[in-house]
Amino acid sequence: MSGARADKGGSVSWLTRARAALRGVREWWDSASGPVRWSVYLLLIVGAVLLPADAVGNVMSPDSNWADLLFFPIGGYILLAIGLNVVVGQAGLLDLGYVAFFAIGGYTMAILGEKVGWSFWEILPVGIVVAALSGVILGAPTLRLRGDYLAIVTLGFGEIIRITARNTPAIGGPNGISGIPHPPTLTDWSIPDVEPFTSLGLGGLAPFEYGVLDARPYYYLMLAAIIVAIVFVVRLNRSRVGRAWAAIREDEDAAELMGVPTFKFKLAAFAIGAAIGGSAGVLYGAQVTSLNPAHFEFMVSALILAAVVLGGAGNLPGVILGAFIVAWLPERFRELKDYRMLFFGLALVLMMALRPEGLLPSRRRKAELEEGTGGMGGLGAGVAGPDGDPHEVKAEVAG
Amino acid sequence: MLLELADVHVHYGKIAAIRGLSLEVGEGEIVTLIGANGAGKTTTLKTVSGLRPLSRGRIVFDGRDISRMPGHKRVLAGIGQSPEGRGVFPGMTVADNLAMGAYARRGDTSKELAEVYELFPRLAERKDQLGGTMSGGEQQMLAIGRALMARPKVLLLDEPSMGLAPMLVQQIFSIIVEINRRGTTVLLVEQNAAQALQVAHRAYVLETGRIVKSAPAADLLDDPQVRAAYLGGAADAPITADPE
Ligand SMILES: Nc1ncnc2c1ncn2[C@@H]1O[C@H](COP(=O)(O)OP(=O)(O)OP(=O)(O)O)[C@@H](O)[C@H]1O
Ligand SMILES: [Mg+2]
Repeated sequence: MSGARADKGGSVSWLTRARAALRGVREWWDSASGPVRWSVYLLLIVGAVLLPADAVGNVMSPDSNWADLLFFPIGGYILLAIGLNVVVGQAGLLDLGYVAFFAIGGYTMAILGEKVGWSFWEILPVGIVVAALSGVILGAPTLRLRGDYLAIVTLGFGEIIRITARNTPAIGGPNGISGIPHPPTLTDWSIPDVEPFTSLGLGGLAPFEYGVLDARPYYYLMLAAIIVAIVFVVRLNRSRVGRAWAAIREDEDAAELMGVPTFKFKLAAFAIGAAIGGSAGVLYGAQVTSLNPAHFEFMVSALILAAVVLGGAGNLPGVILGAFIVAWLPERFRELKDYRMLFFGLALVLMMALRPEGLLPSRRRKAELEEGTGGMGGLGAGVAGPDGDPHEVKAEVAG
Repeated sequence: MLLELADVHVHYGKIAAIRGLSLEVGEGEIVTLIGANGAGKTTTLKTVSGLRPLSRGRIVFDGRDISRMPGHKRVLAGIGQSPEGRGVFPGMTVADNLAMGAYARRGDTSKELAEVYELFPRLAERKDQLGGTMSGGEQQMLAIGRALMARPKVLLLDEPSMGLAPMLVQQIFSIIVEINRRGTTVLLVEQNAAQALQVAHRAYVLETGRIVKSAPAADLLDDPQVRAAYLGGAADAPITADPE
């Protein structure tokens, strides 16, 4: 008993220190000037480019191909989490069927690539548009629902897409589609195998040649998509759209009273989230060469949502970190075989117990959680109940 | 008449919350709507601001039928509301909350902002505090100030005195009078009937979704039935809302 308590005390003080450090970093970042910030961005990008090196891989994933993992699930989950974060973290809508848009992107790539013969670069924009449209089609009738109802409908949508794919022989039924073409090579130029590139693990790499063996070019493609998505989402968030989403998330009725066309903006969040999910699907399809409905189980929706919530919904660095952890942990501890999902679950529970607001929450999000609104997809705000229950009771007592 | 509700019916599913309500608010007036819990006061205001659709009847505002106009467009038409429970954005600072109030407007809003800070100096002191961490009274000020940022022609106030200490209630009511004096029409919903009747020009009494009385506010202060039911007069003869 006392041992357990001491343990807890230890972990708490460790946590306090970590929190203080985090706060320090945040304050430094808030006061950092433009050039400083740009240098940090540049460093991050350079770091991401060097990430597939064997030296890193030996530590991060001794058992499986590190570059493969970096493309998917790590890169893929990060892109998906950025997209789902628009819906859950920014607009405050709970979507439990996000995998549907990933599937739609993937199948668009597979069908147009394998059956129609289009190239990846032609399919990418089509896949994004198709996914966005399906977001609108799903959202238009359902976004009038609130909180938990929306969650259930989206959950159903995710399953419907998967089951429809399984039961449609024209797209391969349960066997899916194989022989999906890789993206055509942009240029077979390769990085010369001289210093410093050799030591950095980049020597001889042809970054724009999409073959079968080397996963790195795909990873760079994913990285580019992630960067584009981040820039897009950050810009949106700083605009009138972002302010409208924040208002909707915190109090939808009040937002409408401010003149925010809440329905339109919720639909926009759905469409943008879906578009990003679709792009991840197209990229994924272009690398794996064959995909089937089993790739798009509910589990993917759940994991991406876990990534968003775990990392700190609404805060992009947190969401990216969350996605990284959710994608990487089970791969890293492959040696635990069947137990790894159990340990993974334990790790998730532990993290949420110690830090319910997420690993890197936004400050605003904390205030919202304390208030009990705008939580996860407005679950707390739920259905607009009869107003003022507490004082109704009080008035009765007084009367 | 600036605002006119004619035979308005509002339903929550099958339940009729408002059943044939008609009322008028003239330009420059303070009109108060009093009634017991569940009488339909909040529903009436939500219907005027467009948060609830009406199932029958019509609402005319500023000479225009707005019965089918979506809520977010009514802000630009000139309807501002401080909702029940205040509806402050908890994760936004006071300044951001006020900026949200002017969301629908284009152009410079510094004049309105200065006016709000002048009416509520407390808000000016706490510009950077998060809305969710403000006290109940401060949140009420913020909700009213935020509604004023859109320069409404009519301001709908839903129980602005709810949960406030008597001192603050006085202060809020005098600010409401001041806002009205500067030219904003006010439709005020209150539990605190005594206070509301003192500041209002006219009053309506609402019972289970219907207007049962309408008179100059001062007259209702002397009305024995109203006194008994809403002003804590003779406790032996309350008018209770009939159950459905
Ligand atoms: N979202 C809702 N769903 C179902 N019924 C509702 C809803 N909101 C209100 N009602 C019902 O409509 C009626 C009128 O409610 P309303 O909130 O307008 O009353 P009110 O006069 O504002 O009461 P109070 O003084 O307690 O705030 C009540 O019977 C209430 O139960
Ligand atoms: Mg009410």
